[in-house]
Amino acid sequence: MNEGPVSKAVAGPPVPLSSMASAVLLADLDVLIREAQDPVSRARLRKLGFPLEGLSRIVAARDRLAESMDRRWTLAYERARHRYGRAVVAVRDRVCSGCFVTLPSVARPRGAEEALHVCESCGRILYWT
Amino acid sequence: MSVLVASPGHDLSLCIPDLKPRRKEAVLAEMVMAAHQAGVVTDPVLLVELLKLRERLGSTGVGRGVAVPHARSATVLVPRLVVGRSRRGIDWGAEDDAPASLILLVLIPSDWSDEATHGLIARATSAARLQRTRQKLLDASSLEALATLLREALA
Repeated sequence: MNEGPVSKAVAGPPVPLSSMASAVLLADLDVLIREAQDPVSRARLRKLGFPLEGLSRIVAARDRLAESMDRRWTLAYERARHRYGRAVVAVRDRVCSGCFVTLPSVARPRGAEEALHVCESCGRILYWT
Repeated sequence: MSVLVASPGHDLSLCIPDLKPRRKEAVLAEMVMAAHQAGVVTDPVLLVELLKLRERLGSTGVGRGVAVPHARSATVLVPRLVVGRSRRGIDWGAEDDAPASLILLVLIPSDWSDEATHGLIARATSAARLQRTRQKLLDASSLEALATLLREALA
């Protein structure tokens, strides 16, 4: 399969993603990796007909993506991941979907793609959808 | 499960009866774009990249001409199934080497549990498992007929 902009990015060349997009992809990859490593999930998926032999490739891609991110983002990411498992959560109707606290700001913050916004209540990285 | 009200059978924009691309990644992009235009996905580029990385974990071609690519992502607002057909068939890397003619793209929000996620993927997979159902889905001559068959298959 040909490499897309992100696939290329995780393989080494400059990352064409915003910091927020990188964090979202990292969180999604972490869920995918955890799922593929979990014996119960793994058994379910294999039974449905999905081979999972490429786990090491995904882990390597995940690590390269993390290394390409700004350190401030990775610190916030790893802190929240260590505490909750999932470090990036969507904001829906002004509500943090991690802790369900209503956020004070009515509007999506300007520059939300580049600025690091964490939930003041739980510390997860907020993804404004 | 919410897929009953969120299936392509209820949203014709999520049925693509004749996919034009010949390559897997282009098919994924077309299907994700349809979901984006239907308001299901916030960032289609990011989601396509996740789907492509998922394929590197292992092909989502389940054989007999069916592929069930899937992604759980914060870019997905609501669970949806996007259905596409390819007359030519697409090389999906399935173990039986059969090109995929029926592609069922399962999109899942990031806050869904493993169990719910696997349940939805299982529903999509089983919907196309029966040869008779699969053939009907491939032969449906109109979007409406395809939608009706999907509703029945997912019920």
